[in-house]
Amino acid sequence: MRRLKFILLTGLVAALVPLGSARAQISDTDVKAAFLPRFARYVTWPPAAMPKGDDPYVLCVIGTDPFGGLLEQAARSQSIDGRRMTVRRMDSTAGSNGCQIAFVSGGRGESTGQALAQLGNRPVLTVTDSNQGGARGIIHFVVSGGRVRFYIDQAAAERKKMAISSRLLALAVGVHQ
Amino acid sequence: MRARLSGGAHALTCTLALAVAAFAPARAEAKAAFRLPEQGVGEQADGARPEVSDASTPSAEAPGDLSNLSIEQLANLPVRSAAKREQPLSEVPAALYVITSDDIQNSGATSLPEALRLAPNLNVQQVTASQYSISARGFNGVQAGNKLLVLIDGRSIYTPLGDSVLWELHQPLLEDVQQVEVISGPGGTLYGPNAVNGVVNVTTKSAQDTLGGFVRGTAGTGERTAAARYGFALGPSAAVRLYADWQDREGLPVAAGIDQNDSYRGWQAGFRSDFGGAADQFTVQGDLFHATDDLIAGDRASAHNLLGRWTHTISPNASFQFQSDYDWYRRDVTLVRDSLTTFENEAQLNLTAGPHQIVAGGGIRLTKDLFINGLNGFQLNPQSRRLAVYNAFAQDRFALTDKLALIAGVKFERSSFVGWQVLPNLRVAYQASPRTLLWAAVSRAVRTPSRIDRELEFEPILPPSVDFKAEKVVAVEAGYRGEPSSWLSLSVNAFYNFYTDLRTTESITPALFPVELLNGRRGNSYGIEAWAKAQVTPWWRLSLGATTLHKNFHMEDDRVDFQPRNSLGADPHWQVVGSSEMDLTPRLKLTLDVRGVGALDLDPRVPGYVEAGGQLGYDLTDRVELFVAARNLLHGTHAENGDPGNAQLAKRSIYAGTRLRF
Repeated sequence: MRRLKFILLTGLVAALVPLGSARAQISDTDVKAAFLPRFARYVTWPPAAMPKGDDPYVLCVIGTDPFGGLLEQAARSQSIDGRRMTVRRMDSTAGSNGCQIAFVSGGRGESTGQALAQLGNRPVLTVTDSNQGGARGIIHFVVSGGRVRFYIDQAAAERKKMAISSRLLALAVGVHQ
Repeated sequence: MRARLSGGAHALTCTLALAVAAFAPARAEAKAAFRLPEQGVGEQADGARPEVSDASTPSAEAPGDLSNLSIEQLANLPVRSAAKREQPLSEVPAALYVITSDDIQNSGATSLPEALRLAPNLNVQQVTASQYSISARGFNGVQAGNKLLVLIDGRSIYTPLGDSVLWELHQPLLEDVQQVEVISGPGGTLYGPNAVNGVVNVTTKSAQDTLGGFVRGTAGTGERTAAARYGFALGPSAAVRLYADWQDREGLPVAAGIDQNDSYRGWQAGFRSDFGGAADQFTVQGDLFHATDDLIAGDRASAHNLLGRWTHTISPNASFQFQSDYDWYRRDVTLVRDSLTTFENEAQLNLTAGPHQIVAGGGIRLTKDLFINGLNGFQLNPQSRRLAVYNAFAQDRFALTDKLALIAGVKFERSSFVGWQVLPNLRVAYQASPRTLLWAAVSRAVRTPSRIDRELEFEPILPPSVDFKAEKVVAVEAGYRGEPSSWLSLSVNAFYNFYTDLRTTESITPALFPVELLNGRRGNSYGIEAWAKAQVTPWWRLSLGATTLHKNFHMEDDRVDFQPRNSLGADPHWQVVGSSEMDLTPRLKLTLDVRGVGALDLDPRVPGYVEAGGQLGYDLTDRVELFVAARNLLHGTHAENGDPGNAQLAKRSIYAGTRLRF
């Protein structure tokens, strides 16, 4: 009986802990949205692909947008070398000129693979999500070990004349060279 | 039985007490670890510009506000997994449980059947050191376990000999398994033949996700394993991995029957390559397997398979998949030779048009078998046979409103023994909120007669059953899947199954013999399956699952079945599984699991049991992991299966191991 009480009490304590925990669990989408604008800090674009004058960096979502307002929220707090970041959304790669970062997911206009092919070797940091299928950009999000991580295709970045900082490479679960 | 259970409860209490004592000091440490110091912020590392958080930005409420975290902290933030969305099949409203790659590696499982114990909606019974009997929603047993479809990367592995799965012939490298989807209930239209009471869908990682080297070794009481894998890229959009996995297991203690001398040594090696990019993706993979055991000299098993898959994206709204695979095995077991060659082809078209999501396709499964029994008089007549199963299917998911979808599907299946069967299913999914899915389904499924059902004979006591029909079920199901809170996910399903034409062994004359396999039983079964996962704190996850099963079967017209175990199986009427996964520090992880299983419901009775196990893992560096693990820790031995001719006792096993990545 005592033992039973002990088990019940332990169970009760376990049940109460989450109520006291202030920090709610974060979804993978929240973390991916937080990552996206930050990638700009760890990537060097060829000068021609950089924003002109005081223009902000442009983070594009090509296809379906899983983030809603999260991207604006994440982009708002970023300032990279004094430059701000804006978010643009588009159905297809048409109109993607000026994007430094592009989150590519299949949409009404193009599939992820088609959009990536359209971007070709243009110096755009393409980002894809394993949730949205198998096609891969330079950065490919996965959820691994309950954490949001990514694969980095460094060879593709080099073809696009972009350099990726070793600090970002160190966080990748795999780097394709 | 009572003594055994109370003994289990005592040990369980002790385990809990120990675990609680262990948490107390670890908790503060782990929390500190979660709130990493602001190291790295502002640090100027090669090419990386300093991070300056804009202080003027109003700080949003958690959990949205991640703006103050460094990129390293983001990468270490535990998240709710979205694994369920990785496969479109997962979106089918059904009783689905997903075992993730991490779940498997944290569990200490060293074989696929042991990993399947993680699914609360499966009942896993160890029969011998290498053989298991696994079922969903009842009918578990060496003979009776014939209503489960098991796929490994899309390759169906049940054998038409008895429609069962020979788990001992499959030894995939567990570290390369991406996830295992376990569906209890008929799988619906999209899965292949034999998905009567459940589907186990094992998918391994893409070769692009397993680049580099990996070595694992374990040793301890009862078994030793060794495995290695190397993955490399071939150009920008192709990758290959090669792997080998070796196991050496000691025999299990004898139960009431005879010693099976079931010690076992086996290896499996293989490869997987993934290539292609934008519109076309290809997978080619294959495995080789060989095992020997000690029952009599010359006993062995060999297998190999090769699979190719092509996925073509026609447009954003249309894609096409074609898969072809070849599979062969041969077993030599106590004067019995059993071999099977399987050739499967499947094509599937996915279309989205307005509110309609349409999937249509077809498949062919051709087999050629050979069964020679030198042990006793039971023979298959003919000894070798070619069988074919053809199917064509179509399913439409129609979004009636934003929240309500109707899924209607039908499959036409033709098999060599029983001709065409119609397998319709109708499902309703109501997405009450982004976090709440309510669903209901009615489906009809059949089990195609096996070689044993139709062509087993033992002159003069058992003539072949030329009239044996397919076993049939109509399943009515309803369920809830959702996240009542951001830290809790919950799934509850109820089912009611109506079975007809179940297999029986009956006298066909007033004398006892001869007997014949007939379809003499009908009845129903019902139950509830529920499971929950709670992220109690960022470093502690709990999961709990329970199932109940009630069986109510009877013979047609007072006929008598001499072999009820072979048809109905022997099932527990309840099962509870629970586990706790704790990141004690960023490098130290403790997983504990407990399972309680009710007594099996057919003689000879196997009492219920409570068992526990777990794994303590330590990341020595980012590349070196050490772990100790235990299975069946509470008792020296316990019975799980009770099959009179086969079952041995499951036993305690403690082992240590290491994983190296380079």
